[in-house]
Order: sequence, then structure tokens, then C-alpha cells
Amino acid sequence: MMDSPSYMLSKIAEKDNLTVYELFFGPNHPGMHGNFGYVLEMIGTEIVKVRPNAGHLHRGFEKLMEQKLWVQNIALVPRICVADPDPNEVAYCTAIEKILRVDIPDRAKFLRTITLEMSRLSSFLMGMGALAAAVGLYTAMNIMTADRDLILDLFEWLTGARVYHMFSIPGGVRNDLADGFVERLYKVLDHLEKRLIEYDKLLFENPIIHKRLKGLGYVSKEDAVKYGLTGPNLRASGNPYDVRVDDPYAAYPYLDVRVITQEGGDALTRAIQIRLEFEETINLIRRALKTMPEGEIRLNLGNLSALKVPKGEAYAKVESSKGEFGYYVVSDGGMKPYRVAVRGPSLPAGLLLAQKHLPKMKIDDVAAWMASLAICPPDIDK
Amino acid sequence: MIAAIRVFGYSLFAIFIGLLFMGIGRKIIARIQLRLGPPFYQAFLDVGKLFARKSITHNFVMDLGMIMSLAGLLSTMLFVPVAGHMAIKTSSNLILIIYLMAIGHLGMAMAAAASGNPNATIGVSRALTMMLGYEIPFFTVMLGLIIFNGTSSLELIAQSQAGGILNWNMVKFPLGFLAAEIALQAIMGEKPFDAMVAPAEIASGPMVELGGKYLGLAFLTHAVSIFVETGIMVNLFMGGASNVFTFVLKQFEIYLITILIEAVFPRFRIEQAVKFLWTVPMSIAVVQLAIILL
Repeated sequence: MMDSPSYMLSKIAEKDNLTVYELFFGPNHPGMHGNFGYVLEMIGTEIVKVRPNAGHLHRGFEKLMEQKLWVQNIALVPRICVADPDPNEVAYCTAIEKILRVDIPDRAKFLRTITLEMSRLSSFLMGMGALAAAVGLYTAMNIMTADRDLILDLFEWLTGARVYHMFSIPGGVRNDLADGFVERLYKVLDHLEKRLIEYDKLLFENPIIHKRLKGLGYVSKEDAVKYGLTGPNLRASGNPYDVRVDDPYAAYPYLDVRVITQEGGDALTRAIQIRLEFEETINLIRRALKTMPEGEIRLNLGNLSALKVPKGEAYAKVESSKGEFGYYVVSDGGMKPYRVAVRGPSLPAGLLLAQKHLPKMKIDDVAAWMASLAICPPDIDK
Repeated sequence: MIAAIRVFGYSLFAIFIGLLFMGIGRKIIARIQLRLGPPFYQAFLDVGKLFARKSITHNFVMDLGMIMSLAGLLSTMLFVPVAGHMAIKTSSNLILIIYLMAIGHLGMAMAAAASGNPNATIGVSRALTMMLGYEIPFFTVMLGLIIFNGTSSLELIAQSQAGGILNWNMVKFPLGFLAAEIALQAIMGEKPFDAMVAPAEIASGPMVELGGKYLGLAFLTHAVSIFVETGIMVNLFMGGASNVFTFVLKQFEIYLITILIEAVFPRFRIEQAVKFLWTVPMSIAVVQLAIILL
């Protein structure tokens, strides 16, 4: 009897004058993605204090990368973000190419861009689905998961892998588009565009969604910059910043990327921001497919397993579906990186903003708040 | 002796129909979600599996609460006429039925509170808050019907609607039916009024500490509650039925409406849900009551 949970809980309650109690939101909780957690101190159903409980997903990527060959790390980096793996590969390869001072062929740039945008689509579908699931609309989540599979099928055809593609390599990409790939991609894009009408009815125009998300987790224009939010979260607060436009990489200089910004800064605006960017991404892939040149798909850098990168350092950043993914790579001229540091987009929202927003929030809204900010714990806990 | 056998038989029938509905409901929701879904008899397999499991209890009160929850709903079931037949000789008083229905919730509240998990406690407090929300509009509709028929006997209300679809209360009092249907969504704990379970918020609320046989009991309780709640609606608004098959078919129609709404709506927060129930179905119910009285 002494060690039963109710006895222990009543002891905790006694200590805190029967008011404040601890509630573990994660690492095992249906509303939490990834093995991350918040330890919430609550009064009734209201949160008074929050402690991010990271570390359950720590796999030591940055240290591990120092022990692997330059090209071996290609298999490692996509695993930092499960939902949107390609930005990691491209950022890592771009950083290496910056140190090597090489310019990759144009077709390789376009292929990278297309895979990045396809990855963005699949990640947006997952993000919108997660938001829908957080407020209990499992129908939207299931339909979006089914649609995401169409993109994963294309990835499997192109790269041989569904989730971790390992498609970009230093100097270019692994393989070219197969015959018929472009036609099927167009078909999938048309299908997704048609489905948007359904998503609108189901999710974005749903009055209950509006009721729940309006005003939730408001981030002002200044706060978004102060806390270091990037990507759709930043643009939903009215800051027109997009790495694809402001510091273009891959084939984005050749494409006319439209930056969508909205005023508002609450969870509903962020949800609609993702929906608008989803539509724009479909158009961007179409434009990229139309303007893609013929030619080589990679530079000849010799045997990649014996690749030596000259001494130097570089920072490369990529606009992922959740925000800016940055890779800081240092080489001492050897076969392996000297140091790789990764800047994930979820870190500011997941750790810092949580401590500002979650107190005074009701337990009802925690999952929806997390999904609206697209917090992806694997890139907090690297 | 015969009465005991009848009660047992009726209970088994209610559990069977409830589990069958749950299975078919899951299949239909799966088809809406573009999934294949489990077979329609999945709920039976689930319950069989759960009762074969070892289970963990926290204390005696939790055991008692689970049994009380099932027993409360089964005893409610005895007062609901199934196609004119009843397990025991009674007048099937509506007020008594609604009163007994709360016992199921209270049993679950006892079990969840005894399990000592804060998620379960929040879930139960939400369930009881939701009860406040849906009972008022539902009672108002019922009051109208009781005044119109001059009796509070569910059996007599069902009999008064005999003789064709135009005599059904559903057709005579469409507004009342609408209000009751919205309230039923909350009574059955389906979306948008499922804040008491809410997996993403409070990890399935009252169910969080239940495993094995306890979860099996919770399944059975849910099955009986589906039977009782749809049964009340069929008797109140769809004229009961002349045979059991028609009765179950009508029950399924009511259940179908519920799960179709469930499939395409997210959930309200608890305070939004209660506010909605006290405004929209409540005003519809009051208008209906006024029409009946005038």
C-alpha cells in the first residue's frame, strides 16, 4: 500500500498544499510526437510551470559524424528529421561543396530542388495531419497519410528508399529521373491540388477548428524574431523571410519563389500558412519541372569513399518545411569531418517558446499548440 | 428463476448488439478515412483478448467502480423496452431511466479516481461536466414529449406512435428530434463532444489506467451504453418497433448518424462543448417545448 501510485500522488499533493501536481506530457503520450516530453506543473487543468524533458531521443549525431567518412554521414543526416529528411542531406552536401569550392551541375541543382520540394509536400501533409489529430479529426490525418504515401512512392522510385532517401551526395545527386517519372509526378500534383478542396472543407474551414485554434499560442512579429522562429512560423507572424529567397541555394535562384506572409501569429494563422505554402509548393515543383535543363547530374570528385575535404569551414542553410535547417561543418583536411553542428528549426519553439506559452494554458491545448508550431522533437534531441 | 434468466439473456443481447455496432462503426469510419478497417466482428475479438489478459488493479475501489459502471448501465437496460418486450415487469419510467444512466458514469468516475492517475481524474471531471451539458437539453425535449403524451412511460410513448411513419415523434417534433440528436452525440461521448477521452490531450482520460480485464469491462460498458442510448432514442422518436429485428435496425440508423458526425468533426474543448450544448440544442429544445405547450 505504501508504494502504490495513489499513495505517492497523495504525498506529492500534501507537500504542495494539495494544489500543484505534476503531469508528464510525454515521452509516452498520444499527443506527443517523438520521444520528447514536457513535465507540466498543474493546478486543476491549468499549467503553471513547464519543464521540457528532452534526452530520450538523443542519439549523438554530431559526435557520431566526426567518426564517419564524409560520404558515410549521408546515411546519418536524414535521420535527424524524420518528417522532412531531404533538407539535411542538401544542407550537409552544400556545406561540403562550399569548403571544396565546387559548383555542381545545373541539372543536379534542379533535382535537389525537386526532391526538397517533394519532401516539403510530404512533411506538410504530415504536419497538417498531426494538427488534425491533435484536435481529434482523425479523418483528415488518415486521408493526408494516404496522400503522403503517393509522394513516398515517387521517392521510392527515384531513390530506392521511402523515408530516408540519401539522394544528395557531395558533388550532385545519386541518379537521374527515370522514364515516366515526370508524368507521374504531374499526376500526383494534380491529385493533391484536387484534394486541397477537401482539406479545406474538412480542416481549414471547419468552425470547430477555428474555435479551437484562434488566438492559441500568439507570437508577435517582434517575438518571432527574438525567439529565433523560422520558416512558416516566422512568416505567419508577418516577417517576410525565406532562405530560398534571401540566401538562395540549389536551383532557387532560377525559380521565382513567392514568399507568403500573413499577419496574425496565432495557431490558426500558422495552420492556414502551411495550407497556402502547400499550394505554392505544388506550383513551384511544376515550374521547376518545366525549366529543368538537361545535362550532368554530378561532378566527378573521384572515389567518394576516399574523399578528402580541404581544411576550412562553412555554414549552409536550407529552408525546410518547419524552418531553417543549418549545418556548420569544419574540416581539418582529413577523411572525416572535424566538427559538424546542426541547427534544427524546432529548437526555439520547442524549448524556449514553450516556457513562455505553456504556463496559463489549459491541458486541452498543449498538443494542438505543439502541432501548430510544427515542433519535431528529433531535431531538438540530436 | 425465469426472471433471472431473462435478465441475463437481455444483458447478453445488449452486449452482443453493442459490440456488433462498435465493430460496424469502426469499419464505416475506416472507409470514410480511406482505410480498409478491421473486420466487423473485431470488437468481439478485442473483448475476448482483453479478458484473456492478466490485469493490474490499483485497489478495491477501482474493481468496484468498474463493476458498478457496467451494472448501472445493465440495470438501465432492463427498463428500456426492446420492441415492446422487457426483461422485467415495469412501467419503464423515463425519469428513472435517465437517473439510472448516471450511475454508469459515476461508477467510471469512482474507478478512474481510484486509479490515481491525474489524466483519468481530468477525464472523469470532464465527463461529469459534459453530463451537465447534455442532460439539460435532453431533459427539455423529454419534458415536451412527456407533456404531450401525458405519461412518462417510455413504453406508452413508443406505443402512441404506432401506425406508420407519420405518427413518429421524429416527424411530429422535428426540432425536438434535432436537439435530442445533438445531445445524443454528447451522451454517447462521440466527437465533437469526446473531450472526456481525448487521446491527444489527456491520454484517453478514464481509460488510461485500465488494462486487461478492466479495459474489457470498459468495452462492455460502452457496448451496453450504445444499446441503451440508441434504444431510448428509437422508443422516443422512431415509434419503437413491432419485432426485435426492426428495433435493432432502427437503433443502427441512430448509431449510423452518430458515427457519421463523429467521423468528420474535431473535438470541442470542454467549456466550448458545454457552452454549445447550453445554447444551440437548448434553444431548439425550448422552441419545441413552446410549440408543444401552445
